[in-house]
Amino acid sequence: MSQPSHDHHDDHDDHGHHGSRFIQHHYDDAQHQFDAGKLGIWFFLVQEILFFSALFVAYILYRHHHPEIYAYAHHYLDVKWGAINTAVLIVSSLSAAWAVRCAQLAQRTGLIACLAITIVCACGFLGIKAVEYSHKIHEHILFGRYFDPCVASAGNHLLNKGNNCPGVKTSIVWDATAKKAAAGCLEGDYDLEPEAKGVQGECEVFEVRKQTVPTVGPDGKRTGFEQKELGRQALAPCPEAPAHGAAPKHDGKPCWELAMHPRICPKGPAAMVLYHDHKVRSSVPAKSAGSGIAIEFTCKAAPPPAAAPADPFAEGPSLQVGAGTFRLQKPMSKHDQALEFASGPPPEHTNMFFSIYFAMTGLHGIHVLVGVFVFIWLLVRAIRGDFTPDYFGPIDYAALYWHLVDLIWIFLFPLLYLIH
Amino acid sequence: MADHAHDAHDAHGISHVAPVKVLLGTWITLMFLTLITVGATKIDLGANYNLALAMAIAVVKATAVILFFMHLRYDKLFHSVLVMGGLLAAALFVGFALMDSNQYQSTIIWDPAAPPAPPIGPPLVP
Repeated sequence: MSQPSHDHHDDHDDHGHHGSRFIQHHYDDAQHQFDAGKLGIWFFLVQEILFFSALFVAYILYRHHHPEIYAYAHHYLDVKWGAINTAVLIVSSLSAAWAVRCAQLAQRTGLIACLAITIVCACGFLGIKAVEYSHKIHEHILFGRYFDPCVASAGNHLLNKGNNCPGVKTSIVWDATAKKAAAGCLEGDYDLEPEAKGVQGECEVFEVRKQTVPTVGPDGKRTGFEQKELGRQALAPCPEAPAHGAAPKHDGKPCWELAMHPRICPKGPAAMVLYHDHKVRSSVPAKSAGSGIAIEFTCKAAPPPAAAPADPFAEGPSLQVGAGTFRLQKPMSKHDQALEFASGPPPEHTNMFFSIYFAMTGLHGIHVLVGVFVFIWLLVRAIRGDFTPDYFGPIDYAALYWHLVDLIWIFLFPLLYLIH
Repeated sequence: MADHAHDAHDAHGISHVAPVKVLLGTWITLMFLTLITVGATKIDLGANYNLALAMAIAVVKATAVILFFMHLRYDKLFHSVLVMGGLLAAALFVGFALMDSNQYQSTIIWDPAAPPAPPIGPPLVP
């Protein structure tokens, strides 16, 4: 971007350039300027390919050595969002290519429309990415040591930490402000050794069907809502879970077992109801008419074990009887169901998948963001009428960049979302 | 500005203008292949064949984007040479990086108490 001197300006005029005023004096003509720019953008794109290939090396290397991590971790990604984003990018690629055509044919309205569509699609892509990222941040499905999704310490089951974790299986009411379970954790001291399952026999767990009905005062006006019990069914304790990692056997009926997670129930275990049919069960809505399922239980404490001093839950001799009401926090989404199918503890180093995922999609997302600003700049110039059939280089170069961004995503989508 | 456009009539042949048919055809192909690649994951061919199929579809899609959306089919040959050179360099880079990736598996210390014997030199003393 050298500043042309006054002499050069004179030269420029002497050369007798006609056409766009954006043809720089140091080029022979419009064609020369266009070709130089095009060569430059192609060099840039080639180094972009090399730039991204470093991340693909990380991906291939890790997948080669740890295919189990990829097979497990992709359940955390929603194919639906990935596919929509692929379509959105393809549409924006079409509009970017069409914008070049419009600029070449001096169709100013078409050019403005195409650039606007490209910007809208790019923003849509980023919006969907934001939905996906915020979901992952919310559920601690992150990179490195921040990968901390809700998995019961016993290993086999996802826990429902209030609304922080997916799953219909559990029913612990989570107090987000106090960061502990508000109900459902049994106060008292229990033996949490896996072999001491006796405590389960001491509990009675009910699935209570409830309906929220409006209450009517003596004057016939609504005064509020109350929950009416429609029926209750006692649930059986779950059969013993087999070895670590394997899915527990079940007969399809709901059953319950104790959840032991120091982060969720610091003082003791909580009852966790397991459903195996993957149906969505809605909770009992607080203030609207509708039905739902609540879990209630009462337990008698088992005799304390003779000695288990290392167990944080088994401290102290006193015994109390715990009782509480569990409630489902939210219905299970299809995504949550997919997660449930993949139940079992995450393989070791699953966080590496998300380190790679965030690095690849993050770098790609930055490219999309840059594209948005470039296309806004082009839109402003197009509205101003800068582009003519002999000066449309910037549109062509930006479109080429945009196609490369699309190209990268064409590979990222199957590699990250569509792992079989 | 509009009259500028008319002035520049002689500069019309500055670059190939993509026909609408080509643009729409490419777009439909890409959309169709996206559907196919999502649908293909529902068919179980074995993990490796599923991956190979998904990658084959991705390569076809990428080729369509490069040839038609990026005009490479109508562009200067030198730009094609650049792209092929870039892909070759990327392939070399990936290939060389992966070449010896199995080489160090035996030296990974899984258990610090019992480190594996190094391939060369005296055994490590824990």
